[in-house]
Amino acid sequence: MSLSKKRRNNIVGYILLTPWLVGFVCMYLIPSGMSLFYSFTDYNLLSAPDFIGIDNYIRMFTRDEKFWQALKVTFMYVLILVPARLAFALCVAMMVNKKHKGIGVYRTLYYIPSIIGGSIAVSVVWRQLFGNGGVFMSISEALGIKQRSSLLGNPDTALLAIILLGVWQFGSSMLTFLSALKTIPNSLYESAMVDGSRPFYTFFHITIPMLTPTIFFNLILQIINGFRVFTESYVITDGGPLDGTLSYVLYMYRKAFTHFEMGYSCALAWVFVAIVAVFTVLLFWTQNRWVYYESDAK
Amino acid sequence: MIRRKKLLSAVLAVAMTASMAACGSAEEKGGTQAAETQAKQPAAETAAAGEAAEEAAESTEEQISLSIAWWGGQTRHDYTQQLLDLYTQSHPNVTFETSPSGWDGYFDKLATQAAAGAMPDIVQMDYLYIATYANNGSVIDLQPFVDNGTIDASNIDEAVLGTGKIGDSLAGMVLSNSILALTYNPDVLAEAEVETPATDWTWTDYAAAWKQIHEKTGAYGIETNLTDNINVLNYYVRQRGEKLFSDDNKSLGYADDAVFVDYINMITELVDCGAMPNPDEYAQISTLPKESFPVVTGDAGFRNDWNNYAVIAEGTNDKLKLMTPPMADDGTKALWVKPGMFFSVSSTASEAEQQAAAEFINWFVNSEEANAIIMAERGVPVSSEIRSFLADSGKMTPKQVEMFEYVDLAVPVCAEVPAPDPAGISEVTTAFQDAVYNVLYGRKTAEEAAAAFRTTADEILARNN
Repeated sequence: MSLSKKRRNNIVGYILLTPWLVGFVCMYLIPSGMSLFYSFTDYNLLSAPDFIGIDNYIRMFTRDEKFWQALKVTFMYVLILVPARLAFALCVAMMVNKKHKGIGVYRTLYYIPSIIGGSIAVSVVWRQLFGNGGVFMSISEALGIKQRSSLLGNPDTALLAIILLGVWQFGSSMLTFLSALKTIPNSLYESAMVDGSRPFYTFFHITIPMLTPTIFFNLILQIINGFRVFTESYVITDGGPLDGTLSYVLYMYRKAFTHFEMGYSCALAWVFVAIVAVFTVLLFWTQNRWVYYESDAK
Repeated sequence: MIRRKKLLSAVLAVAMTASMAACGSAEEKGGTQAAETQAKQPAAETAAAGEAAEEAAESTEEQISLSIAWWGGQTRHDYTQQLLDLYTQSHPNVTFETSPSGWDGYFDKLATQAAAGAMPDIVQMDYLYIATYANNGSVIDLQPFVDNGTIDASNIDEAVLGTGKIGDSLAGMVLSNSILALTYNPDVLAEAEVETPATDWTWTDYAAAWKQIHEKTGAYGIETNLTDNINVLNYYVRQRGEKLFSDDNKSLGYADDAVFVDYINMITELVDCGAMPNPDEYAQISTLPKESFPVVTGDAGFRNDWNNYAVIAEGTNDKLKLMTPPMADDGTKALWVKPGMFFSVSSTASEAEQQAAAEFINWFVNSEEANAIIMAERGVPVSSEIRSFLADSGKMTPKQVEMFEYVDLAVPVCAEVPAPDPAGISEVTTAFQDAVYNVLYGRKTAEEAAAAFRTTADEILARNN
């Protein structure tokens, strides 16, 4: 009797889960499985896929220079962008973490770039600012520095302009920092002050340690987001000049939809998943060494 | 506080799953949809359209909606729309859904649509890509429509019609001819005291003229940097008596890298002295609308393009003139009459739509009504009847007359037409531009770049053909 009731409860549970399960299976599990299958085929989207074993993966690691270039660009992007954005977000968060008339307006203003930053329109604006004949070139010309190439036109510096756009979208990190700053008990600062601690010392020995869970959270999110950069390099520079801003996802897109190599592109996608997974696991693994949770302290 | 940690991990887990799903989604969506298309071929259509098609076969009065895509400038968008409206007037059962676009991004978008099984029914196609689309089966064979007289090809030169043949299939109906041409701005030349160019000018003569223009006026000698149209390299290679691609399309056709090294050195020299835009400046120029390139506004002396460019820019500057591209020092003829553009019909179109599309293409190519509006803006028409109709109509502007006359000017320096560009050409074009840019950015010597281009191009060609 009680068993059948339990079973009935389970059935209700499964029924309630169904909408989600259907979505998960149709939109995620099956497509993922198919893309994994395609990654072992030569598939041009329109004729039937040919099974070629691990050739796609071999080609990627042994004969494809652009694959390495795309990896290099993406890693540089992530490794520079994430620390820069977090540092900037923290600075701004500390500045707006004050009781002041009209501070809400500032907080809103600083958040705006995050809402519009990833859009095509802003990317186009960025091109007008940093591109050839753009605002920055005109300014430097007015100051007497005449150049033929812009920031975006030089393969060594184009990525910097794109990273700058990323840093500018610091809003969501700023908000989480702001709320975390508010949870740090004032008593800590007060006792530090009583002990004569300087602001610099207070920051590194109280603020930062207390913020580590938030830093960790932001780090994971921003790294995963950073790896996925696409719009900026597609719209602002189209991966150029000389593949200087060829992001991994842009390369994947090109292989699939410009060169009709869907099989190869799927293989690229799976290597990408592996890379992001490794990064995430590594970060979790280091967590115990530097992330401080109040609950662990005795 | 333990709870807080748990909550954090849960949020993280959800966030990660979501973002990774997002990474893959673009890929997978394409994959599934393409698989569906495949399953439903040849009539991969929505159920509603399929039904409409069946009924249309019985009654010609059935409504047919044709989607059509083309690239071009504003002038072309305007008159094409006018043209389609006119066709709907005389064929009330046929309506059009249009997707006009510029050249930039046109083929990216088309590829995405093809992959999703949503390619427009009628597609304006270029010689660069026709082999790719024919080989992957996304466009139909138009030969049956030519055979049964739906498309009248009797006034079209066999060789010209044949440029749309890939293997045994007529993958595209050629609409016009075009020939590589230098377009120049006589005002800029006059200001720089450069003589009017002639057909016998060599690359050396032109290089001198381009430099002189830059020195005397500050304008670019030539506004194109000769790296985004691989036909120019083909022309240069043909002037040495070789070809760019081997007969089996599996490798480059020229034996000695010296020819490409010379080409790169020529460009480097021109860019260094400012007579030609550097890659950054050129990227900026490329984003301008076709009607306002520097040569039109007087900020450049020459532009390398096709012989319909002066017509395209006529609205903003009606003084531009045409001249044949630079000759080889020894006078080897290398120019060719290239099919300007094609109309291809998507294999996702239903039978009724294919029939309607073929009828429309026939009207477009052969009717005086249509061509009186087109006025050769898409290049010199392929039908000899239409050519003489336009010549006799007296309605042509001076630039259109010059475009026709240019053909007479160019034919004496023309050689045979090369085979259609091999599949994978867009990748080869990228590799070609990369090679030259590597030298311009000082990353490689011309010799290294030429050798690297050979390795890359051979790999791409072998993989695709």
